[in-house]
Order: sequence, then C-alpha cells, then structure tokens
Amino acid sequence: MSPLLDVEDLQVELITGAEIVRAVDGVSFTVRSGETVTLIGESGSGKSTTAMGILGLLPAGLAVLSGSARFCLPGGRAVDVVADPDAVRTVRGHGVSLVPQDPMTALSPVHPIGRQLGDALRLRQPGLSRAQVREHGVALLDQVHIPRAGTQWDAYPHQLSGGMLQRVLIAIALAGEPALLVADEPTSALDVTVQAGILDLLMELQERTGIGILLITHDLGVARLVSDRIHVMRHGRFVESGEVEQVVDAPREEYTRDLLAAVPALGEWDDAERNETEASA
Amino acid sequence: MLRYLGLRIGQGLLTVFLTVSTVFLLVRLAPGDPAAAYAGPTATTEDLERVRAQFGLDQPLLAQYGVFLRNLVQGDLGTSYSFQAPALDVVLGRLPYTTTLATSAILLTTVVAVPLGVWMARRADTMRELAGNMVTIAGQSMPDFWSGIMLLTLFAVAVPILPASGFATWGGLVLPTVTIAILQVALISRLVRREMVAALGTPYLSVARSRGFGEGTLIWRYAMANSAIPVLTALGTRFAAMLNGVVVVEVVFSWPGVGSLVVRALETRDYPLIQATVLVTAALAIGVQLLVDLAYPLLDPRVRLGKVASS
Amino acid sequence: MSAVLPSVERPSAVTPALRAAAPAVRRARTLRIKTWIGLVCTAVVVLPVVMASLLPLPGPDTQDLSARRLPPLTDGHLFGTDQLGRDLLSRVLHGGQVSLLVGLLAVLTSGLIGLALGALAGYLGGWVDGVASRLAEAQMALPLLMMLLLVVALFGSSVPVITAVIPLAQWPEVFRLTRSLVLVERGKPYIDAARVLGLHRITILYRHVLPNVVRPVSLVVLLLLAQAVLLESALSYLGAGPERPFATWGRIVSDGQDYVTTSWWIATLPGLVIVLLVVGVNLLGDGLRDRSRRPRTSGGKA
Repeated sequence: MSPLLDVEDLQVELITGAEIVRAVDGVSFTVRSGETVTLIGESGSGKSTTAMGILGLLPAGLAVLSGSARFCLPGGRAVDVVADPDAVRTVRGHGVSLVPQDPMTALSPVHPIGRQLGDALRLRQPGLSRAQVREHGVALLDQVHIPRAGTQWDAYPHQLSGGMLQRVLIAIALAGEPALLVADEPTSALDVTVQAGILDLLMELQERTGIGILLITHDLGVARLVSDRIHVMRHGRFVESGEVEQVVDAPREEYTRDLLAAVPALGEWDDAERNETEASA
Repeated sequence: MLRYLGLRIGQGLLTVFLTVSTVFLLVRLAPGDPAAAYAGPTATTEDLERVRAQFGLDQPLLAQYGVFLRNLVQGDLGTSYSFQAPALDVVLGRLPYTTTLATSAILLTTVVAVPLGVWMARRADTMRELAGNMVTIAGQSMPDFWSGIMLLTLFAVAVPILPASGFATWGGLVLPTVTIAILQVALISRLVRREMVAALGTPYLSVARSRGFGEGTLIWRYAMANSAIPVLTALGTRFAAMLNGVVVVEVVFSWPGVGSLVVRALETRDYPLIQATVLVTAALAIGVQLLVDLAYPLLDPRVRLGKVASS
Repeated sequence: MSAVLPSVERPSAVTPALRAAAPAVRRARTLRIKTWIGLVCTAVVVLPVVMASLLPLPGPDTQDLSARRLPPLTDGHLFGTDQLGRDLLSRVLHGGQVSLLVGLLAVLTSGLIGLALGALAGYLGGWVDGVASRLAEAQMALPLLMMLLLVVALFGSSVPVITAVIPLAQWPEVFRLTRSLVLVERGKPYIDAARVLGLHRITILYRHVLPNVVRPVSLVVLLLLAQAVLLESALSYLGAGPERPFATWGRIVSDGQDYVTTSWWIATLPGLVIVLLVVGVNLLGDGLRDRSRRPRTSGGKA
C-alpha cells in the first residue's frame, strides 16, 4: 500500500522583501497508516514550515515550493500538492487534518466551540440536521474525553483551559474523518501535566482507527514517547533519520548527540563550580 | 459587567454635565453683556431686566450656575427671540430632520463600505487596492461643503433629476445623504479593510482553512464575525458624530435640521437658541455614543461572559 | 535508515515574476508610490502658497469690475476671476497662506499640549494620569463643530481665536497616543537603569523617553494637519472663518456658490486645492507611518 504522504526533495523558499530565505532545503520522508513520524528540531529548523507548506497554509505569495509532496488518501486519488497547488483543497479536511500549535488562538473567539465543530462536521456530511450535527459533535467531544460535553457545546473558547481546547481541536480534526493527522507541536503550549493526556489521546486514536500521524515537535521527551520514526532537522535539512530507538539510543551524528545532551538533568549542587561563576561575575 | 455599565453611564452623565457647564461659562466669559446676548439686539431695557432676572445674571457666578441648572432640569432653556418660541421646542422640532439624514447616511455607508473594505482586504497591496485606497483617501479629503456643492450642481442643476434643497419629497434626501456618505464610506471601508486583513492573518483563520472551508466561508463567516464588533461600534460612533457634524451639509442643501438651525442662530446672535441646540445635540450624541460603548461588551462574548476556567 | 544526505546546492525555484508578486515586495512598492504621490500633491499646493507674495499675480483683493467672472486661462488669470474681478488664483494662494498658518499653528499647539500631557500622564501615572485622561475623554465626546461655532460667535472669528480653538479638539488624540507609547517605554529596562543611576524623573522623561516617542507622534500630528485644514475651511465656509488678512478657502467657495452654474470655477477650484492638499498630507502621513511600522525581516521560523 502506498504511503499516505510521500515527500521527496521538498524545498520551501520564503520571499521576505529584501531576501529569499530557504526555510526547507530538500527533505524527503514518508508517513504510512498506523505509524507516527516525527520531525524534531530547534526553533527555526524548518519543521513547522515543512508541515504548513505541505498543507498549503503558508501565506499566499510568501512561500515558493518545489520538489514533490504526494498525498495518497483512501477514497481519493493521489495528489501532488507542489505540482498542483490548488489540489491541496481536495485533501485539507478530506483525509488530512491539522492539530495546531497554540490552542488558545486556534479557534474563532466569537463563535461557540459547538458551532465550529458543527461547521466542520457539516463539511463532510452536508445533509445533517442541526440535531444530528449536535449529536455527532457531542459524541466526538466524548471521544476526546471532554467532560460534560453537552454543556461545553455552547461554550466559547475563552471559557476553556488550554488542555480542553486542544482536545476540542483534536475533535474538530477528527470531524474530517482523516487518514492522516498533522500535529504541529500539539503540546508545546500546554503544561507538562496536561501534555501526557493529549499524547495518550493521540496514541489511543491511532490504535483505534489506524490513522497516520506526522508530528512536529522540539521536545525530545514527546518524540521518544510517541514516535515510530524520527527525522532530526536543522537549518532546513534532515541531519539524521531512523527508527526512534536507534536515533535516541545510538545517535550517529554529532548534532543529534548535542540535541540529546541539551536536556537539562537533575544532579547534585556543585558548590565549587557555583562559587567560581559568582566570583567572575 | 454591571460595574462597567455603571461606570460608563456615570462617565456619560459627567460629559453631558461638562458640555453644559462649558456652554454656560463660554457665554459668560465672552466680551459683552450676557443679558444682551440672551435678549437679542432688539431688546428693550425691560427685556434686559427680565432676562437678567430669569437667568440671575446680576448674581454671583455660582448662584447663576445654580439658576442655570435649575432651569435646565425644568426644561427651560430660554426663549428664542428670532423664533419667538421656547428654544427647546424649536430645537426638538427640527431634530427629526437631522436624525433622518444621519440614519439614511449610516445605512448607505454600511451597504457600501463593508463590501468595499472586504474587496480591498482581499486584494491587499495590489495595484488595484492602491487605486481603491487612493479613492477612499480622496473621499476622506473632500470638504463636505465642496462635495455637496459639486453634487448639487451636477445632479440638481446641470442635470435636474434631484431636488436641490429642502425635504419636500423623499428625493431631497438623496444628495445630502450621498454627500455625508462620501466621508463616512472612506473611513469605514478603511477600518473594514484593516480589521479584515488582521482577521485573515490570524492563526484561527489558518486553522479553519486547514479544515477545508472555502474562501467564501472563511471571509464571510469567520473573518467577518470577528471584524464585525469593531466595525459596528465604529458605525455607532460615526452616527453619534453625525448628529452634530452635519451642520455644513444641512446648510448647503437647506436641510431643515438642527445644523442649519445653529448656523442661522449664530447669524442672528440668538443665544438661547444656540445654547439649546448645542445642549440637545451634545446630549444626544453623548447618549448614542454611550449606547455604543455599552453595546460592545454585549457583542463580544469574551467580555460578556468573562473568563471562566474549567478543566 | 539513512545517514546525512550530502549537501547539494539546489537551484532556487523563485522566479522574478513570483518575487514581484510576493506581498512583502508589493507592499514596499505600493508604499513607495503612495509616499511619493503624497509628497508631490502636498508640494504642488504648499510651494505656490508659500511663495504667493513672490509670484507675479494681482493682489487678492484687487477688484477689476471690467474683468468680472472670467473663465480660467483668460487674460493671464490662471484660475479666472470672481464676481468682483479679483484674480482667483491670487485669492486662493493668499487665502491659503492664512489657512496653512492656522493649520500649522493649531497642530503645533495640539501636538505640544498632547505630547506634554501624554508624557506626564503616562510616566507619572496616579492622579495626574487620572485627571488628564478623564479630561481627554470628555473633550473627545464634545460636539466639535458646534462648539467651535459657538466660540467663534462669542469671541470673534480672528486668526488667534480659531488657532486657539482647533487644538482643543485635537489634543486628546495626540495625548492618547503619547500616553500609551510612554507607558510602553516606561516598562523597558533602560528606564530602571537610568533611575538607578540617580537621574531625576523629569530628566529621564525628556532626555530618554521623549526622543523615542516623538517620531510616531509627529506622524499623527501630520495627519491632524489635514483635519485642521478641513475644519478651518468648514468654519470659513459657514462665515466663521478669518477675514483678515485674507479670506480663506472655505469663504471663497461660499462666495462662489451663487455663481456655480455660470462661473463654476469660483466654487470648484478652491475646493480642488483643498482636496489636493489634504490628499497629499494624508498619503504622505499614511506612507510614512506604514514605513515605520514595517515588520523587520525575520529568519525562517520552524
């Protein structure tokens, strides 16, 4: 079976007035059903730009894509969104869904969440009545473990916490019945305690429905938990790629090693070192 | 919420009070005898005496203020000698003409400015938008007396399809409305453009686009709903400003509203009438503005419902 | 799976056409055009007005009853003559001197008042801020044109009166902007550093805070000039404008209104001059403001 997403030699250039920035400089990867592929890197490495570029969500006229990014989703024909940019509309919300980065700004503040979820449902199933939409929607909210989904249906985004909002966003993403989920730093804006819940939810969904997940993150802990395969990204290129155990436990490249070592570790107070730094200040 | 309401109403009353007091002070600070100002150039000595007694003009300033306020509360704003009638009645009689004009102008503005603003926002920074931009700046830069005269000449005199003055028929409403609307459309369409461009650049719009919504839905449902609140409040503010800003247009088209009334009152030095006009229009404008300010929290769910944390 | 791919120089896919169509490039271009047009329009009006006395024109009040209501471009009258045979161009230029003077003085006054009060309110806070802000709010709510007419009716329509009264309408806007900018500056670390060094509050205010604030404020003041010119011309049209030393634009238009079907130029041309000036100032102010607001180019984000 062909992969849900097949990216080959993707290049994204951004026209910012005076200069042209090559944010993504030739990356290739695939995502298949049932697996989680992670792009990991620091800020500015190009990982989010890759995901947004593939989905056609970079500001119009700003980004120029080259290479290829082929979607092969069930129920639709294969589509290369770089060769045929307009075709991205046939896959967005119809097999590929986005889970965005900051839940607090990802929803329209003046519409209730039920309305926004309902709108997404109606896109897939235009014939539904209001009652049916609400029924399906509340069921989705239940699926993502939102308590008292019936009352939350009429709530506004600002009335919910970050964790709850992210669950709502996942529910809206699911309304499109996706085969592929693109999760752009889904937990970066959340508290650590809430992060685990979201990641659990994503894994549960993957087990249950077999969706593929393209995960973007800068957090090694997150990557380690949920990924099958990892691509380490730096300055728009992949520095290292492989099965997650191999990359994390036995990194081949120096950059990967530095990245792994950069996680602060709890250790003993080293008084000698601290006194030294104080004296030289 | 209630506290906010109370605060705004208090501020509104304070401003009306301030306007009232300013008018009071101005008439008394100006050179010349206030009694002569109130009684008019054809006053006799008896008239002057009467006016002095009515307004307490021979008493100390603070006492005068008291008399002034007392009269005000009773609805007595003096007698217009050029109309030979209570000033307040004269003003209230002409008020409906001004409000009709302002209403039709705001409706025309809304119908034209919103689509225009959206059009400009969708083509932001293109040459076509630059042209649109220049047109709106031109609209903003035309003195209303001039555009009024130009329209009058073109459509009422050179090509006599519309009445030139007055309110004899509904057709007479057209030219003054269009004249006022030129400036308002310019201002509102630029606001709509700004708000739309901002809304189109927000994360939630990008996310909505990823769901598969068409451009139409994105613009008219999501972006518009978010832009609506500042635009609606701006329209309300413009309406309030129009109530005392259409003076010039009323003069050009001989429109029988409070604007032309004030000008005529100034020409005849009819101070009770001037005072009454300023007070009534100020109070009305401030009142409308207050309603607009109060409406804002009702429209924006973030303010209306406050922040409720739930887990 | 794979190790690092060898570094390959990939060709850029950005064609000149794509580049020209990019929003950032387009924005820069329209900005340039806008600013230049604004400058030209403003100069076309301001320069002749300023040099009015030096130009070979008849005096603005010189009547010539044998040359009444001549159309433009006859007998050396570029704008024609009015109903008393006075050269229209001369009247417009000389009247413009008064209009511009009034406008400039008015916005300078409102600029200074707004700047001073806004800086004090933003920097000192407390009751100073409270009182000043309430005053500004109340001022903005007052019916502008009517109050101006009332003041002029009471105190006369001379240049000093009008120049004094227009700022009353405009200072709140300058005040609000200055205050919010100063509040932003006050939160920055360099202010704390200056305090620690022992500098007096007022010194910090005018030596460090104000220079950062003056530029955006002066742009607003430029746009207020346009508003002041329109306001003055409206007053003048209604007969409440300055008569000495020269009649200003609004008055010339109102004088010409009766003849608009037979001698359209008397009412039309002065108005066009106003439009040209105000358009120029607005475009210029807009262009300058957008230029200082342009986002800095940032490197590609993740």
